[in-house]
Amino acid sequence: MVNDGTFYFDEKLVNMREQQGPLATTSSVVRGLTAFSSVITESLNLTGDKILGIAKFFLGIGIPGDTKNFFDQVDSLACLENNRVSIPLILSLPSTVISLTKKDSLKVKVNTVLGSHAPPLTVTLVRAFSSSARDNSIIENQELKFDPQDAVYFLDDLPASFDVGEYIFVFKMLVQDSEQQTVYATGTLTQVPIYVTGLIKIENAKIAVLDSDLGSVETQKKLDLAGESTVSVSANHLQKLRLSFQMSTPLGNAFKPHQAFLRLRHETKVEHTFVVGSSGKKFEITLDFLGLVEKFFYLSGRYDIQLTVGDAVMENSLLRDIGYVELDLPEPPENASRPPPQPVDPYTRYGPKAEITHIFRAPEKRPPQELSLAFLVLTILPLFGFIIGLLRLGVNLKNFPTSAVPATFAVIFHLGIAAVLLLYVLFWLKLDLFTTLKTLCFLGVFLMVVGHRTLSHLASASAKLKSA
Amino acid sequence: MAKLLLYLTLATSLIPLFSVAFSPENPTDRRVLVLVDDFAIKSSHSLYFGSLTSRGFQLEFKLADDPNIGLQRYGQYLYDALVLFCPSVERFGGSIDVASIVDFVDSGHDLIVAADSNASDLIREVATECGVDFDEDPAAMVIDHINYAVSNFDGDHTLIASDDFIKADVILGSKKIEAPVLFQGIGHSLNPANSLVLKVLSASSSAYSANPKSKLSNPPSLTGSAISLVSVVQARNNARILITGSLSMFSNRFFRSGVQKAGSSIKHEKSGNEQFLTEISKWVFHERGHLKAVNVRHHKVGESDEPAIYRINDDLEYSVEIYEWSGTSWEPYVSDDVQVQFYMMSPYVLKTLSTDQKGHYSAEFKVPDVYGVFQFKVEYQRLGYTSLSLSKQIPVRPYRHNEYERFLPAAYPYYGSAFSMMAGFFIFTIVHLYSK
Repeated sequence: MVNDGTFYFDEKLVNMREQQGPLATTSSVVRGLTAFSSVITESLNLTGDKILGIAKFFLGIGIPGDTKNFFDQVDSLACLENNRVSIPLILSLPSTVISLTKKDSLKVKVNTVLGSHAPPLTVTLVRAFSSSARDNSIIENQELKFDPQDAVYFLDDLPASFDVGEYIFVFKMLVQDSEQQTVYATGTLTQVPIYVTGLIKIENAKIAVLDSDLGSVETQKKLDLAGESTVSVSANHLQKLRLSFQMSTPLGNAFKPHQAFLRLRHETKVEHTFVVGSSGKKFEITLDFLGLVEKFFYLSGRYDIQLTVGDAVMENSLLRDIGYVELDLPEPPENASRPPPQPVDPYTRYGPKAEITHIFRAPEKRPPQELSLAFLVLTILPLFGFIIGLLRLGVNLKNFPTSAVPATFAVIFHLGIAAVLLLYVLFWLKLDLFTTLKTLCFLGVFLMVVGHRTLSHLASASAKLKSA
Repeated sequence: MAKLLLYLTLATSLIPLFSVAFSPENPTDRRVLVLVDDFAIKSSHSLYFGSLTSRGFQLEFKLADDPNIGLQRYGQYLYDALVLFCPSVERFGGSIDVASIVDFVDSGHDLIVAADSNASDLIREVATECGVDFDEDPAAMVIDHINYAVSNFDGDHTLIASDDFIKADVILGSKKIEAPVLFQGIGHSLNPANSLVLKVLSASSSAYSANPKSKLSNPPSLTGSAISLVSVVQARNNARILITGSLSMFSNRFFRSGVQKAGSSIKHEKSGNEQFLTEISKWVFHERGHLKAVNVRHHKVGESDEPAIYRINDDLEYSVEIYEWSGTSWEPYVSDDVQVQFYMMSPYVLKTLSTDQKGHYSAEFKVPDVYGVFQFKVEYQRLGYTSLSLSKQIPVRPYRHNEYERFLPAAYPYYGSAFSMMAGFFIFTIVHLYSK
């Protein structure tokens, strides 16, 4: 038996290829039970609680996704719907959240397992107590009225002393017709947790900066928590910040919400959260910056203030940016702890990087082309000067050999010299050293032969002239 | 005898067909091991499992403490992915433990972990190994008094309707998720130093993680949007992990139910859970966002074959083809921010590659005038995509002696002087020999 009132059978794995879960096992038990009870004439000795427990188990698994499980569930529920042992009646609430502002009323439905109508019953709210004060029950033995149109039992007005909060309601149902009481299984008591919600009044909100020695108020500003306005205060590490407000339920009682946080967030996104303490209706928190300097990692600057107040039964939970406080804290000492690293925004982490183009080395500076051309002209000028000088000196070609053979040799000699010079020009232009040297070999040998002939002829000619 | 031979040949020819499971050519997982606390989860979460099997996954359901389970046998992994839907398991059965799960992920396989409000220390340890930290208080749940889902039955505001999704089409699909996602469970936080985890669904700034039944005296350790409801991790070996604190988020009940966020009057017929979880499972199992780069080529502009060495001040062209796996085939990946770096100790050139919209990316640039051994590096990391890290080494040489400029105008005076000397010599030979 499980604590929430369900009851099921499970199977121990014995040498079977497929393990049947509790659903299949329980449904085969139910099928057998109802088939057996419809055949025999005596009644079976089973308590209504066990049948109710099995019915609650089938209803509690929701809608199974597997078709076989779904069939098992619906088939078992149909067997339980009309069986000869006892027919379980299920008490359910369409809503366990009652809103005081909307003036909801408590509604209870009683049906058979497949949803058809139950016989006439009296449904009584035996006890209703707050989950924090279990001994003190607020309602006792209140009978619920029946609305035949919707087939619901309802409590039309909650007593005026019902405040917001979490409650546990205990119900009991009894079949009106005493003969039918054995046919139906109603169980004993059903416990249902109920949330009663309402609007909580928050008023008198103030934020103040106090001098820490004297406790005197330096600046105090009123906060409008319902509106959108923001305030700004400034403080240094010798002062205290105090935030206070009052909360009360719709009936005027004190209320302690589950969540009452004051959050200070620095510009660098470092956050600090504090719980706002309370005494009765008054809520107050005092931040003594002298003691908090180390906790704040010595970060001065602008801190955004955010107040969050919320509770499960509060219909107007709020999250409000109140404003900001300019905090002036002293410089951190050498061994102060660093603030924790803040998460990097993932969208900026993965972006394309900036493009880089290589800056090439600037070529060396060269003299301007006109200067080079000018010096080219200057270097060629001496050649012309040489030719002009030669002409001035009166050179002639009188000594050129007149007879045919020496003349040809002379001409070939000079042509050979010209060919060598041409070879040098070609080497400068495009030839490589190897072809040049090869050609130079041949030309050189040729030139030596011819030159020897020419120069020896000239030498003999001038020797003849001298001796004559 | 002939029959035996026939059977033998048939059997051996069928062997290659069994090895189509998980390979770099086909990155989607095929065989998935699902570990559950009890088999009722198979039925109550059947819509989610049905969406996986309809996409071709083979799911194997086992109890978490079944003594016969194991992830690998004789050194080979039996499964391509692991789904842990067992939040209350105290000890895994068989040969599975935290170390073997970590090895499984380290070898490139995917993992889905779902905790719940009764999560055991073992599941918390698995999550810590993956990089997220669940709230240490075992009874804590995520409570939000402003962004809860309006419900007639959950009055304690632990059922949260959240629509603070990460903006990434590759993880959540291109279709916007209209309805909020229902969540009921524990929250976790991410270490800010970890650069591999992403918050896919975060809680709003009014959320906090605490025990709903007891009053708070100290501020809770997890508050605000630092609480992550669903996170993913993409490891450096491209294994993907999904971690969430609510197993009921995957259940049929949440898939089918409508949702109305508190304070809003819009009632959505169906929650966004099914679309959200189907799309994110597609991402986790590599059906989306898995890139491969092939066919890296580089050559001088105008030529087509790849040289072994470049010269400084050469014009070269680099090209690569990038494909994205679509679940069934490789589709061309189109993006305008793939960049190539020409790198030696630091990038000398960084250029964005231009695409022809069919997956072919290319860029042209001039080789810098520094010589050495360079690398073509493509480091592509985008939110939700696998990271591409390509690198090809290429040396760069300076000019040869005959690649410089041939005739310089600054040298004209020297040319002039040499040739005028040669001309003068020729005239001199004639004049000197023959004049009288």
